[in-house]
Amino acid sequence: MSDMISATDLKKHFVLHRHRPGFIGAVRNLITREHRLIRAVDGVNFHIECGEFVGYLGPNGAGKSTTLKMLTGLLVPTSGELLVNGRVPWRERQVHVGEIGAVFGQRTTLWWDLPVIDSLELLRHIYHIPADRFRKNLQEFRDLLELDHFLHTPVRALSLGERMRADLCAALLHDPRLLFLDEPTIGLDVVAKERIRQFIRHINLERGTTILLTTHDISDVEKLCKRVMIIDRGRLLYDGLLDKLHQRFGGNRQLVVDFGEIYEDVHVDGAQVTEQVGTRVTYHFERGTVTASELIGRLSSRFRIRDLEVREPDVEDTIRRIYEEQLLVRG
Amino acid sequence: MSLLWEVAKLAMQRQLTYRAATLAGLLTNFFFGLLRAAVLVALFGTSQEVAGLTIQGAITYTGLTQAVIAYLSFFGWFEVMDSVYSGEIASALLKPMSYFSFWLGQDLGRALVNFTLRGLTIMGLYALVFDLTVPTHFSQWLALLATLILSWLVSFSWRFLVNLSAFWTPNARGIGRFAFGLTWVLSGFLMPLRFFPEWFIKLCNLTPFPSMINTVVEIYLGVLESHEVIQALLVQGLWVVILVVAAHLILRAGTHRLVIQGG
Repeated sequence: MSDMISATDLKKHFVLHRHRPGFIGAVRNLITREHRLIRAVDGVNFHIECGEFVGYLGPNGAGKSTTLKMLTGLLVPTSGELLVNGRVPWRERQVHVGEIGAVFGQRTTLWWDLPVIDSLELLRHIYHIPADRFRKNLQEFRDLLELDHFLHTPVRALSLGERMRADLCAALLHDPRLLFLDEPTIGLDVVAKERIRQFIRHINLERGTTILLTTHDISDVEKLCKRVMIIDRGRLLYDGLLDKLHQRFGGNRQLVVDFGEIYEDVHVDGAQVTEQVGTRVTYHFERGTVTASELIGRLSSRFRIRDLEVREPDVEDTIRRIYEEQLLVRG
Repeated sequence: MSLLWEVAKLAMQRQLTYRAATLAGLLTNFFFGLLRAAVLVALFGTSQEVAGLTIQGAITYTGLTQAVIAYLSFFGWFEVMDSVYSGEIASALLKPMSYFSFWLGQDLGRALVNFTLRGLTIMGLYALVFDLTVPTHFSQWLALLATLILSWLVSFSWRFLVNLSAFWTPNARGIGRFAFGLTWVLSGFLMPLRFFPEWFIKLCNLTPFPSMINTVVEIYLGVLESHEVIQALLVQGLWVVILVVAAHLILRAGTHRLVIQGG
């Protein structure tokens, strides 16, 4: 397998002019300006192989979008090396963008006041897609994304979910080898989210398209990606398997037990009681010190159990803990 | 080339959806044209010819200048600027197409619709009210076609250049208004350049602005000798080349320092 993306010590710094408040401040701004350096991306290293599906996570302002804009050739890095699909993106912007696809959830690439199909037809010319290829792809996406009933509606009249589906179709008609998705499910309801996830998964599996997904919605990542990269304040905090993230930082698993009757002392070795409401008791236990089955064994030997459930810590919690407690801050 | 045409076709389609705006613009342009004609007629008084222009030519001039307002976006054009500020520029830069051609195509579509629906219509309305000068020779019509295309290219490249200032300043509207205001005076839109003193005409001729309007007017009215027509077309062509090259160089510098607004 070969690298689709390789970033070495990638940096993007912006200079912000600080505006002093008030009238006096405004006058002073005319004469001297205060500058502030924003290190939006500050020395990031990673490799993504062909066919991978990688989740890119981080809180607002962490540097996700800036990274994405460099990968798509929109921004010129301040320093560092970047090769995407064998090219330096910004240096050969036009060739580069011809072989990638991108969906920025908060924006549309379609013409606002024209029917969807007209925009798609124009894309056929812009990307020089052979007619039969275009027809075949369009037919497939029409079925998978259920575009038929709004293909002739102007984009401004579409619902958010419909617009997103149309944008996904637009980003894939030219068979890109690499797809960037920036918040593709933002603002969508559960059903619409699920439909889009299914489609994205299908594209990754069936077409082998390499996908880099940034999102706030952790369930997107849980359902789609094996590998995640976490960025905060311009630096990569974690790059690895989602499962490992759990194991390293997942903290405690939970065992929720519904007893047959109310017991006075429900204490058991290897776990802590964190909540007790009537017959329902919640235990926390650490991964590695005791397994769920051991714990259940110990409990069932002493108590009558009506029902029980093992809960994995969710990724959202894990990641929040990483941000808040800075678990991954390197020295 | 075919891609440019496809973009232009979509832009035309889009322009055609603004029916009410087109009608309103048409009526406004016509009304102000009549006013301007009345002022010029008063200016001529009893004289039959001023600065080589007959009264009939002067009236035709007001019609012509009103007719070009829409297709040259003469009252200002801020679309590129707006797309830089809104961050929409990102969608355009994500397409494998030159950013200049992307807008050139759109402006071509917009210009063609406005040339037909507003330009030709105004001349038609004028012809109902006034006795207009009309080119007589086939060669004059040919030169007119060439100068119309060239004037649009000069105008577009200039407008595009002005809009590129958005890459350097967070609010370029003021720059835009100044630049487009300058165009009004120096292009011969407010008054035929012939009416101005010699030194002022010379000054104007150092700029691309007469190539947008004055050249079109003079070729239509037939006040130029045939070698002057060729010369005027060559000057227009030269300005197209200069402005297009400048636009590309500045665009490249601009995109390298681009900051895409918004998430």
